[in-house]
Amino acid sequence: MKLRGKFTKWFVFLVLLHCVVAGAGFFAPYNPAEQDRQRPYLPPMRIHCMDAQGDLHLRPFFYPLRLREGSFEQFEEDTGTAVPLYFFTRGADYHLFGIVPSRLHLFGAAGARIYVLGSDAYGRDQLSRILFGGQVSLLAGLLGAGVTMLLGAVIGLAAGYYGGWRDDLLMRVAELFLALPWLYLLFALRAFLPLSVGPLEAFLLVVVAIGLVGWARPARLVRGVVLTVKERDFVRAARGFGASDIYLLRRHILPETASVLLTQAAILVPQFVLAEMTLSFLGLGVPEPMSSWGNLLATLQQYSVLVSYWWMYLPALAIVPFFLGYLGLASALQERFDTYKISEKSGWSRT
Amino acid sequence: MQPLLKIENLVKHYAAGRSRGSRRTFAALDGVSLSIASQTTVALVGESGSGKSTLALCIACLERPTSGSMWFEGIDVAVREEAQLRLLRPQIQLVFQDPASSLNPHWTALELVSEPLLVQRRFDRQERERKALDLLDRVAISRKMGGRRADELSGGQKQRIAIARALALEPKLIVLDEALSGLDCSVAAQISNLLRELQSSLGLTYLFITHDFLMAAHLADQIAVMDRGRIVESGPTERILRAPRHEATRSLLAATARFPETPSVLVNA
Amino acid sequence: MRYLLRRTRHAVFLLFGASLLTFLFSALTPGSYFDEMRLNPQIAPETIAALRAQYQLDRPLPVRYLHWLNAVAHGKLGFSFAYNSPVAPLLWVRAQNTLLLTVTATLLAWALALPLGVWSAARFGGPPDRVLSWTTAALLVVPDLVLALGLLILAVRTGWFPTGGMVSVGFEELSPLQKFRDLALHMALPVFALVLAALPMLVRHVRASVAEVLNAAFLRAARSHGIPHAKLIFGYALRAAANPLISLFGFSLGTLLSGSLLVEVVMSWPGLGPLLLEAILARDLYVVIGGVLLSMIFLVAGNLFADVLLYWADPRIRSTASTE
Repeated sequence: MKLRGKFTKWFVFLVLLHCVVAGAGFFAPYNPAEQDRQRPYLPPMRIHCMDAQGDLHLRPFFYPLRLREGSFEQFEEDTGTAVPLYFFTRGADYHLFGIVPSRLHLFGAAGARIYVLGSDAYGRDQLSRILFGGQVSLLAGLLGAGVTMLLGAVIGLAAGYYGGWRDDLLMRVAELFLALPWLYLLFALRAFLPLSVGPLEAFLLVVVAIGLVGWARPARLVRGVVLTVKERDFVRAARGFGASDIYLLRRHILPETASVLLTQAAILVPQFVLAEMTLSFLGLGVPEPMSSWGNLLATLQQYSVLVSYWWMYLPALAIVPFFLGYLGLASALQERFDTYKISEKSGWSRT
Repeated sequence: MQPLLKIENLVKHYAAGRSRGSRRTFAALDGVSLSIASQTTVALVGESGSGKSTLALCIACLERPTSGSMWFEGIDVAVREEAQLRLLRPQIQLVFQDPASSLNPHWTALELVSEPLLVQRRFDRQERERKALDLLDRVAISRKMGGRRADELSGGQKQRIAIARALALEPKLIVLDEALSGLDCSVAAQISNLLRELQSSLGLTYLFITHDFLMAAHLADQIAVMDRGRIVESGPTERILRAPRHEATRSLLAATARFPETPSVLVNA
Repeated sequence: MRYLLRRTRHAVFLLFGASLLTFLFSALTPGSYFDEMRLNPQIAPETIAALRAQYQLDRPLPVRYLHWLNAVAHGKLGFSFAYNSPVAPLLWVRAQNTLLLTVTATLLAWALALPLGVWSAARFGGPPDRVLSWTTAALLVVPDLVLALGLLILAVRTGWFPTGGMVSVGFEELSPLQKFRDLALHMALPVFALVLAALPMLVRHVRASVAEVLNAAFLRAARSHGIPHAKLIFGYALRAAANPLISLFGFSLGTLLSGSLLVEVVMSWPGLGPLLLEAILARDLYVVIGGVLLSMIFLVAGNLFADVLLYWADPRIRSTASTE
């Protein structure tokens, strides 16, 4: 089926992306916290196969950078020492998926550090930091989306099923949350939660804050489905056998909401990752030393960094393939379930 | 002999107009009284909007009447607390008009037929499955179809499943709300034969609701005619067809009969 | 007319709800703000005592809320601990800057989205339409933060635009024309960022609405009457599509406000955004509440404006209103 093909394509793409981030320990050459104060703010290094003499080497290599004569910020390659790259090499310790201890890395070098995406103020490898930072940001987004979907589903089910004043009240509140600008809401919520807490607590607070802000749209959509399904004869029939409310909700109504929930999840996850990035970038999210894409970008707030060290911007681009994947998935799901018709012609909608 | 089901002066009001401020109510049932004797078929005939479906829902205890009484096997069921109703429900089952809507399209035939048993928590899983297969046999659905999802079956097959499901709890009374109205003539004929056969083998009582007098005449011992929330006439089928008294009855007859002799021909079916 | 009353009532409800929500959030703070204040040597103990009495912090929450509501109604939004001054004038200056940015960006975005969307819908499926679709798709995938930062870096490296602030040093001495130019240059980057962020969705929706209308029966009838193409689009199609588009306008305001907060911080534009952020980091309670409230007021006012526009533009609203 053509539609199924679209869905699979995006799904596989996303799974691959997530695997790369989840396996950050393997794909990253170094431990993200490993500093090298001798080499702050090095630009990305180039990988060569042909050396300065014009010879071709089978094994790729790089030249370490050194400061140009008479300059404090210009670097040049030290073509005297060629440092070869090894693949599937042993490097720093890490725990794959947090459980399996390993020392295997996709690539590495002996003798000098390779900075594929440059280094930061403390000489930490940006590539490694981006990969590990992705774990934090993605996890925050996924967990936040989980909280929101749970909250939205419960509220939507309750409002739709029981109706009456409960429905009116809940939907009014939902309308309020929907009408207000999300970033302001998020700020307002985050502002009043404790600010100077440890990384783990900060992470959880961020997840909770994000999750609490976004429940309104899923709740409204779920409620819509419940209202329709509630009146269906098969629900009436089940009641005729003596089914309890919980049974009806669980076995008949909830499964019907699956399509709406899935589509919403695909739309919300990237937005929540972005929310975490925004919060951390502004100093309201995950603090150092835990790295997230957001706080990796925080250095850009210094003018000097902005002017001279353009590679510090790269963590921002890391989210783009995820946005692409999730939006593509959402669009495929929408087509499949025909959930909302903003217009069939408009293709994607980020609502 | 006491009737299986007896209702007296059943009234059902629905709120009409905008919910905010408007107190107008609409009387779907305006004092309905009816008796159904055991192991008979009573047909309830009326136009759309006459209140037939509302009556069906009230009898099946899916709607609560505003006032009136109902006795089942002599027991007053006006009390109607959910816990007590739970014991009553297996006895009265409902078959809906549109099986596409009354059967969850994602469920398989077996799951659908065994659902009542699951809800009432009878038997264990294997026993339920066995009973479900037996029920499928009864309604002439081959066992192979058991694993098919409802949306993969034809209209006639779906309605058979619905009937099988209604039989699962071994009810005494089955209310069929326009159950044959959505089917092709030949399919409807097959299913009405099935219904008759089930009635004689299982000793069922039917309340058959329809707007089609021909159907009613074909299946029922008694006909009750409903108009605007009331039963305006009722009596043995033959008498109603031969000598209708109320205007509503006559206009319904006139609408369905094509030839003047048709009703009596049908009675002998 | 009843429609307008209903929408106004709705707007008031939103405002109350927003204020209540913000106030409720503030109740989450563990410990009293004034405890932290007491540790600050810059603030005199008398001020603290006076503020405590004024804000009735010892009373239960509903009382505090009503008290605060009453104060707001009199135009007193509280006191800023960081700036050591009342909140309202502080907010007002920043709010003007934010308004300048958001209004300009909105106008520009719609000025671009309407023709692009209409053109795209008129040439539905053709090469220009497809190019536009791909471009908007590409832009959609790049979130605001990434866009804003990217633009900033570009500006810094090329030096074409000033990269912060609203005006240059020595602004006062410039002639009016030079002042305008200076302001425009400073505004260019943030406005560009906001427009780029908002444009894709707007274009898509305009395109979808207009395309739907163009296919409608009444339009085909009009075309068969020989009405010229341009008149068809602008006289008929656009007016018919006005309803969903105006609703879209109201809806997009919320997103625009959120976007402007971020852009202001990134590009150091002295609006509500940076003020709010500072206030949060400094635990300046009343500035935060006031700032959030002010942004909600803008939002609600914008939505109400959209409702009025809709009332004026769509005769169906006027007639159905009486049957409500």
